[in-house]
Amino acid sequence: MSLFEIFDPKAPPRPIGIDLGTTNSLVAYVSNERPVAIADCDLEVLVPSAVTYLPGGDVAVGRRALALAAEYPRDTIVSVKRYMGRGADDPETRRLGPYEFAAAEPGQANTVRFRVAGDRSVTPVEVSAEILRALKRQAEDELRHVGGAVITVPAYFDDAQRQSTKDAARLAGLEVLRLLNEPTAAALAYGLEKKKDGLFAVYDLGGGTFDVTILVLDNGVFQVRSTGGDSALGGDDMDRAIAHHLLAKLGFDDARQTPQLVRLVLDEARKAKHALTTQDTVVAEVPEHQRISLARAHFEELIRPLLERTGSVCRRALKDARIAAARLDGVILVGGATRVPAVRRYVAELFGREPLVDIDPDQVVALGAAVQAELLAGEGRSDEVLLLDVIPLSLGIEVGGGVVDKVLPRNSSIPCAATATYTTQEDNQTGFEVHVLQGERELVADNRSLARFTLKGIPPMPAGMARLEVTFAVDADGLLGVRAREVTTGIEQSVSVKPSYGLDDATVERMLLEALDHGEEDLRARRVAEHRVEARRILAATAKALATDGDLLEAGERERIELACQALDRAAQQSDDPGRLHSAIEALDDATKAFAGRRMNRAIAHAIEGQRVDAVEKKVEHAKGIDEAHALHGPQLRTGGAR
Amino acid sequence: MDPFATLGVPRRYELDLLAVEKTHRELSRALHPDRFAGASPSERRDALAKAVEVNEAWRILRDPIRRAEALLRLLGVPVGEDREPKADPDFLMEMLEQREALAEAKASRDLPAVRSLAKGIEGRARAVEGELGTAFDLDESAQGAAAREAVVRKLGELRFYRRFLEEVSAIEDELAA
Repeated sequence: MSLFEIFDPKAPPRPIGIDLGTTNSLVAYVSNERPVAIADCDLEVLVPSAVTYLPGGDVAVGRRALALAAEYPRDTIVSVKRYMGRGADDPETRRLGPYEFAAAEPGQANTVRFRVAGDRSVTPVEVSAEILRALKRQAEDELRHVGGAVITVPAYFDDAQRQSTKDAARLAGLEVLRLLNEPTAAALAYGLEKKKDGLFAVYDLGGGTFDVTILVLDNGVFQVRSTGGDSALGGDDMDRAIAHHLLAKLGFDDARQTPQLVRLVLDEARKAKHALTTQDTVVAEVPEHQRISLARAHFEELIRPLLERTGSVCRRALKDARIAAARLDGVILVGGATRVPAVRRYVAELFGREPLVDIDPDQVVALGAAVQAELLAGEGRSDEVLLLDVIPLSLGIEVGGGVVDKVLPRNSSIPCAATATYTTQEDNQTGFEVHVLQGERELVADNRSLARFTLKGIPPMPAGMARLEVTFAVDADGLLGVRAREVTTGIEQSVSVKPSYGLDDATVERMLLEALDHGEEDLRARRVAEHRVEARRILAATAKALATDGDLLEAGERERIELACQALDRAAQQSDDPGRLHSAIEALDDATKAFAGRRMNRAIAHAIEGQRVDAVEKKVEHAKGIDEAHALHGPQLRTGGAR
Repeated sequence: MDPFATLGVPRRYELDLLAVEKTHRELSRALHPDRFAGASPSERRDALAKAVEVNEAWRILRDPIRRAEALLRLLGVPVGEDREPKADPDFLMEMLEQREALAEAKASRDLPAVRSLAKGIEGRARAVEGELGTAFDLDESAQGAAAREAVVRKLGELRFYRRFLEEVSAIEDELAA
């Protein structure tokens, strides 16, 4: 970065991309049209996703936290992503690890709580916020002024896990432009560099999660055909497999496994795994000065079951995408665990081709997120690159007999909405319980429960008379909202699914205030800043619309719009009143409403028409081929056909 | 909503899905929320509503069952399991037997047997989809109630196959873990 930029006090906010990983996290931005990862003062790009809560209230993040892990095994939280959006009673919470968990106090949600630094208890959301804060600081050191962030999540993250990630970002004071699925981000990083069309698979084996995504790349549009994954499978499991092996060889039974010992052996296991990437054997130095040698072949045997699990997920995804492995144009590897030679061999065997490894598998996701952030912040080429994502798991509601009725099937493109109609089962039923579920299984008990609410106040009617409409809507972040309405009476109720493990708005606001130590003033200033950013965006978009689609304007419309633009511009420059800014934005919105509708119709007509012309041209091309024999008639036929 | 009109394709069962997918992609490109990130709130809402409609249309048309249901609805035939005539008892009995065979294969953790049962059902599902295409064409020319009933019956069969194959997927997951 040049000196000029460093001292530019008016430097515009720069959007950033964040890969909030299980083992490591990193932040990137787009510099001169190329995504680059931001290094810290030691020139390190990867920030270990570790947080240590020290006695006295200090918090250490990253390598410092890892260095403190041996001394403070219980107070150092690693792989916190595995706990995101999980309940205290979740089996995942009780897996091998050195932590102590705090019980929820009465009235608190059933979230996992780590007991750290004596009597402090922290949730996974708060731990993740510490990591995000550190990344934000690192970005600010480089860029001065950080704008919004795109944060990546595994495609297989469910609603609770996505919501928790957003909560963590809010706590860290980051504006979330978008949650982006990790494999899609990886494809974005690759696609931009290679400008390829075709069918791709992204095999992402990270520290704690596995994802596979089948993508169509077509003329700048990345469309997800299908996704699959396992949110509890990753490189950590390889470490665990080695650690279990080492502990068994040492003859430590469960009773003798202290937190310190488990931590030491896990660290040693990780080192052994890394060493076996290049070596054939490694000697693990384990506690009480014992040395155990581990051959690569043995390691590969230990992790074979893990690889098989990824294989069955991949086969399912291919099936969902309705394509054979042979039709793929490339396989992209993501995640540090894909450095393991056995993983690369397995992937090559599974898909019948050598995977692409040109971009560092640890950085590729953050780089893609930076690209997306740049596009969303409006500085980039949003006309050229778009992501069409899908919901990874089916969404449905409970119907009679403990059976799930799927309302939105998995792999539906987002944003999406669907309505299903139900009726009452009993005479004079005045309430209707809506139980929202996520998953592929037939029975309620085998799926994940996202929310429950009751629609009350239905007048007494015979069974089957009430008509209950349930509408599911999933936004571009993959977050779900549910609305239930009784048709005959019009009684309505809606919830945005804040699953039981997420934080409610009031809690986030309170935690935010505590963290800021400033209160009202800060929030107000923040709202003004947000409105200003929005005003600038809208003014730019309106100017562009007037320039490109001016022919759609009716008499006097341009003048009305321009007046509203001037008013908003003035407000954005002069006013510190969030209310005034907001109403100026609304006024411009009103003035452009009809114009926007006409532009929308034109865009739709173009999209469909473009397709027809394409199809006709293809036929014409074909006809031209046949016609080559009668060369004389070629040109006439072509013109005639295309009309 | 008429998903055929939304995606600008003719109202019929047999579709060139690759071409429909391409149209869907082009419409999504035109309507994607990212392209309206800087737009006014009402424009954003309109674009979102349209994008949702386009995605719904594609979700319906790409799925053999939902596509058949949509066509029937447009023909004024009530659809949905509780509004359709009950399935043929012989067919039900046979499906019950297939389900029992599947449960047995699951209990003995016999993955090859599970897969072979699935293969059989997949073949039948494909055959019924083909028959549906023909039946819909006939229906349009004959406009006969009998032809429609045949379509509805086939649709019911397809639903049974779908559920069977979903159960197979779940069992495969379970046996793999």
